[in-house]
Amino acid sequence: MGLGFLHRHRGSTPYLLLAPGMLFLVVFFLVPLGFLAYQSLESGSIDFGYAFTWAWDNYSSAISGYGTQFKRSFVYAGIATAIALLVSYPVAYWIAFRGGRWKNLLLLCIVAPFFVTYLIRTLAWQTILSDNGLVVRTLGSLHLLGVLGQDGHILATGTAVVAGITYNFLPFMALPLYVSLEQIDHTLIEAAEDLYASKLTAFFRVTFPLSLPGVVAGTLLTFIPAAGDFINAQLLGSTTNHMIGNVINSKYNELIDYPAAAAMSFILMAIILALVLIYARAVGSEKLTG
Amino acid sequence: MTSIAAEGRRTRPNALSRAWAFVLRHVLTVYSLLFFLYLMLPIAVVIVFSFNHPAGRFNYTWRGFTWDNWLNWNAVPGIQSAITLSLEIALFASIVATALGTLIALALVRYGFRGRGTTNLIIFLPLSTPEIVLGASLATLFLHSASYGLSIPFGFWTILIAHIMFCISFAVVTVKARLIGFDRHLEEAAMDLGANEWTTFVKVTLPLIAPAILAALLLCFAISVDDFVVTYFNAGNQVTFPIFVWGAARVATPPQINVIGTAIFGIAVTLMLVNVFIQNRRAKQG
Amino acid sequence: MTDQITRRVFLRRAAASGSILTVPGLLAACGGGKSSPGATSDTTSHQLAKTLHFSNWTLYIDNVKGGGHPSLEQFQKKYGVHVDYREDINDNPTFFSKIEPDLERGQSTGRDIIVMTDNSRYPALLVQKGWVEKLDKSAIPNIKNLVPQQRNPSWDPNREHSLPWQSGFTGIGWNEKLTDPVTSMGDLLGNKKLKGKVGLLTEFADTLALVMAYNGDDPSHVTDQTFNKAMNTIQKAVDSGQIRQFYGNDYASALSSGDLVATMAWSGDIVQLQADNSHLKWQLPVDGGDIWTDNMLIPKGGNVYTASVYMNFVYEPKIAAEIEDYVNYVCPVLGAKEALVKKDPAIANNPLIFPTKQMLDNAHVMDPTAVNNEKYQTAWQNLTSA
Repeated sequence: MGLGFLHRHRGSTPYLLLAPGMLFLVVFFLVPLGFLAYQSLESGSIDFGYAFTWAWDNYSSAISGYGTQFKRSFVYAGIATAIALLVSYPVAYWIAFRGGRWKNLLLLCIVAPFFVTYLIRTLAWQTILSDNGLVVRTLGSLHLLGVLGQDGHILATGTAVVAGITYNFLPFMALPLYVSLEQIDHTLIEAAEDLYASKLTAFFRVTFPLSLPGVVAGTLLTFIPAAGDFINAQLLGSTTNHMIGNVINSKYNELIDYPAAAAMSFILMAIILALVLIYARAVGSEKLTG
Repeated sequence: MTSIAAEGRRTRPNALSRAWAFVLRHVLTVYSLLFFLYLMLPIAVVIVFSFNHPAGRFNYTWRGFTWDNWLNWNAVPGIQSAITLSLEIALFASIVATALGTLIALALVRYGFRGRGTTNLIIFLPLSTPEIVLGASLATLFLHSASYGLSIPFGFWTILIAHIMFCISFAVVTVKARLIGFDRHLEEAAMDLGANEWTTFVKVTLPLIAPAILAALLLCFAISVDDFVVTYFNAGNQVTFPIFVWGAARVATPPQINVIGTAIFGIAVTLMLVNVFIQNRRAKQG
Repeated sequence: MTDQITRRVFLRRAAASGSILTVPGLLAACGGGKSSPGATSDTTSHQLAKTLHFSNWTLYIDNVKGGGHPSLEQFQKKYGVHVDYREDINDNPTFFSKIEPDLERGQSTGRDIIVMTDNSRYPALLVQKGWVEKLDKSAIPNIKNLVPQQRNPSWDPNREHSLPWQSGFTGIGWNEKLTDPVTSMGDLLGNKKLKGKVGLLTEFADTLALVMAYNGDDPSHVTDQTFNKAMNTIQKAVDSGQIRQFYGNDYASALSSGDLVATMAWSGDIVQLQADNSHLKWQLPVDGGDIWTDNMLIPKGGNVYTASVYMNFVYEPKIAAEIEDYVNYVCPVLGAKEALVKKDPAIANNPLIFPTKQMLDNAHVMDPTAVNNEKYQTAWQNLTSA
């Protein structure tokens, strides 16, 4: 009989299955983006209303006015992603290779902390990094405060913001790494060692390259949301650490300057898309879809 | 392959290699344990401070232990309705999103059809769009809905729609992963034994992908309860729990926030432990 | 980027592009707020509604442990109206952005009374756009108890649309355990010992008023020159690392935890914060502080009669005194001080609540046209969001 039976109704079944969900996504994801694009070309103000005027200057003024925040967002997100990768890779490796029957439990240990509401976790960091808290005092006695902090405080500096972003997005990095490491066929490593590779060489020549899909997935899942984040900057940073997310938020929800916010959102998406494409090109696009 | 290679390996290990192996074996473990400690640090702070007895408006310095906050967890005006709303929205959103997502996953994995690439793209895009863009664009849609005849005021429904929207992609990915590794032969066998397609689906397929559907449900639920940014843009007057925390952080942080945070954590951990336990049991049996 | 578009220019442009597709555009073209059948304002009926929906700032009304509000309960008993009291206003812009979509569409906001600050652009904006109802003054005989200096604000000259809830001073708060008294903006902005532990407010009017006063300029008459001078003063302090951050009302937690040593602060806050940290002190800056007023407004669609009756109720000196006993901001009701003298002389004689003439003279009111100026607002936003 074969698998043919599954394709018998090829005609309409897949479309029927897809319809409700895809319709929902089209109406509530794609169409809003269209509206946002429309709005980004409007001009006006809350006092007198908005009108569609092909206001491309919204885009140019967004870049000229807030270029610093754009740059800062990508720098912070980039550093946080890099740190997250370096920090979580060993742990993902350890669980995948040494976990044995405790694997699921250990994974739980990684995921569990992130069931506490994002905002509450970040507020806890406010307490931990407080000027009179243990962390700051320890860093002070280690004379690291000058390097990491600013005038004796960590909160309200870029360090705190990056630390917050790194922490909050760790599972997005750790889990994909684990998944791809776990799937590696151990016989390949054994073969390498049989061929006189040392454990270290085996790692760099076999394990790491095989884990690249996980690295790519983790990097993207961490970097993209981090670039648009504003909560860490708001709660842990100062006004000189604001990211583009903060600006969009204040333009939309406080200044009620919808066109500017819309233009900035699109620029953010465009830059992210560009970076992702460059990254995919560099790493080889098969790794992207894994 | 056997004795020669084994021979080769037996003469290999020198002091350096052995030392390296030793270091690897233990440093990695120590490091990982430190990592887990680091992960748990803020959670420990949240839990500990849920028992704090703050003197004034803020919960940043330890004053003393009390059970008060746990006993009077809803003493703070607005907190109960906030968490209730969050749970309600999460429940409905996760069910709808999982249902829609499962259908899409089935279509993607089981059938070949035109527009497959586009479909994949549309599913992938929300995952790769920053939340702030998702929130702002949806809000814009609702703002302009009136001029197209369908006035949707900000509130429960806009929040629900927003949550379903970003949960669908997660549901699709979760169920799809399980469907891909699915052994079709079981279905074939059922069909060979005379079952029609619908019976096969209900009696064979569905139970076997049930774990994935459950996982998708739980994932969507968790994501929905925790969502702040998209909700914030689309909530209007309604207050979900994360929005409540955001507002509270600016004025007064009652310990009850920590109480609820700890409770959510506790329930989630318990559920996951149960799941792990069941899976281990099943592994032993199977 | 968004220059001031006069209505005429706007209409011309919109007509030319043929696309008044947005609702705001339609509204602007039609000239102000439109009300749909669902939101008729009830100005003529003298029927009390079953529920009064009152949105206010946090910790801004009398309250007892367990969450009750005695004054609201008294109102309920006297008039049989249940008060749905929501403390959902954290700052003016965010709250406004929440009700704006409903007001824009002529829908009811679900509230009968809201409270907004006069040194933000919103009370003036709401009145200008016709998004607030006129008070039913026949139901508010107690309006005669309004303190004289509040009777004719520039944005609502005859108090047709608003009544003050509380006023407050903006000054400097400091932690006396961590520093010597900080009594002038010069100290706050320049004292190297406070570097990185100083806060300013995100509130445009508050910070600029104090800095302008420090610069010797008059905050109630702002010119481009005085504005730029003040912005430069602040920018210098930000660049030098003196300013830790610009705060909304979250300066309170930083100040009480010690992350901030001195900051711009609101008078009533400090009184309440002293429970968290008894070392906190507050003072109007020597060069001048500013005074602002939070006003009760009835958003379009709210129940005018019931709201007016409530306003009358809180302008009863006895009731005002009750509320003042907890809130500790500046009371706008004549007679409240006398009513408090016996019950709580400490509060009655507290100049932060019943200010002396000298304090009132030393506190400026921010120029409302400056608050409404788009250019200034954008420049300010860029400064505080750098």
